[in-house]
Amino acid sequence: MLASILVLAAEASTTAAELLDQAAGDAEAVKNPILPTVNEMLYAAIFFIALWTLMKFVLLPRITSVMDGRTDKIRDDLAAAEAAETERVAKLAQYEAGLAGARAEAVSIIEATRAEGDAERRMQITAAEAEVAAARAEAAAEIADAKARARSELTGSITDIAVGAAEAVIQKPLDRAAQSRIVEDYVNSSGKN
Amino acid sequence: MIFGLEFPPIENLVEWPNIFGPADSWYGFNKIALINLVALVATAVLFLVAGRQKTLEPATNAPKGSRNLVESAVAFIRDGIIIETIGPAGLRYLPFLASLFFFILITNIFEVIPFFHMPGNARMAGPAVLALLTWAYFIAVGIKHQGLKYFWNSVAPPGVPKALLPLVVPIELLSTFIVRPFSLAVRLFANMLAGHILLVTFSVLCITLWGASLLLVVLPFSFVMLVGLTGFEIMVAFLQAYIFTILASVYIGSSMHAEH
Repeated sequence: MLASILVLAAEASTTAAELLDQAAGDAEAVKNPILPTVNEMLYAAIFFIALWTLMKFVLLPRITSVMDGRTDKIRDDLAAAEAAETERVAKLAQYEAGLAGARAEAVSIIEATRAEGDAERRMQITAAEAEVAAARAEAAAEIADAKARARSELTGSITDIAVGAAEAVIQKPLDRAAQSRIVEDYVNSSGKN
Repeated sequence: MIFGLEFPPIENLVEWPNIFGPADSWYGFNKIALINLVALVATAVLFLVAGRQKTLEPATNAPKGSRNLVESAVAFIRDGIIIETIGPAGLRYLPFLASLFFFILITNIFEVIPFFHMPGNARMAGPAVLALLTWAYFIAVGIKHQGLKYFWNSVAPPGVPKALLPLVVPIELLSTFIVRPFSLAVRLFANMLAGHILLVTFSVLCITLWGASLLLVVLPFSFVMLVGLTGFEIMVAFLQAYIFTILASVYIGSSMHAEH
């Protein structure tokens, strides 16, 4: 009896073990390939954290220091270029202001010279006109004197001719002074006409 | 099998046997762990070589060679990601974000590297770890900048009417603290796994067609697709690294100020 029970128990244990093995096999067969495994997660974490640490303390500083240095140099060069440009613009403005001042001064000099020239020209014209007027007045006076002299000479000659002719006609002497006044009045009145 | 010198069994589409350590052990080192190690070493070597590389001209300090490559990448992360999403105050987070970018990019690019042909992020472990670290990081940044009020400010943004809080608080709680890490991990993992399955599918198709006499005429089309998808996967590798990094940057930036 005991022996048969032991045999049954042994058979049962064998069956249980087989069932357990089968269950384990089924579990392995249905293992989900999508789910992460512990060993892969462990190594991924170790290697990533190692890379992160290296990147932070060793790898990246060597690169970024050069990049930052270059950035600073570019910034400084740009600032220097900007300062040079500002200086250039200021100098250009200064030059243009000087040029404009010079131009204004030149224009004012030209205008002043032109005004001075005009004044000089007007003065010389006035002087010339005055000189001409004086010469003209002098000529007119000379003409008037010559005219008066000619008239006086003519009056005397005419008086002499007329009195001589009248004395020859009437055969007696005439009052020369009175005749002279008459002739003179006649010449003067005819000169007026 | 580890280096893909022979076509692996289809069971190894996403799951790789351990190189050392017993199967299913917590310390088993498999191909995915190797890819993560190479991502660390490759990034470190690239930066060290770039750091030793002399500049083109001492006067101009212009970079060349590997330094040019690394500086361009760092400038891309600094100016294209951090400055755009956080501003100058976020430059202190450059080491974390640069590590994320390079680690994800290099683990992704193993999809198209001969003898590997397996993106490290086509397994959920890597994206999950990175998403959890990002999650912990932006919470730490939030506590640092706002104190413990960060948690309330995150779920109840300033300016929200009190009547809406019963609706907004659960949504924001779920969105900020549950969905963010989950979406970060799943987006990266799903994209890389999908690309990997596509490449494996067309590779298997090419091999199968090579032995099929009648269907041999289809082989060139399948091969062209395989080559095209390989190029596409290079773009996806970069794009996913960029998306993960910029989202991490946005989350960190949003933790710095209550109004975000």
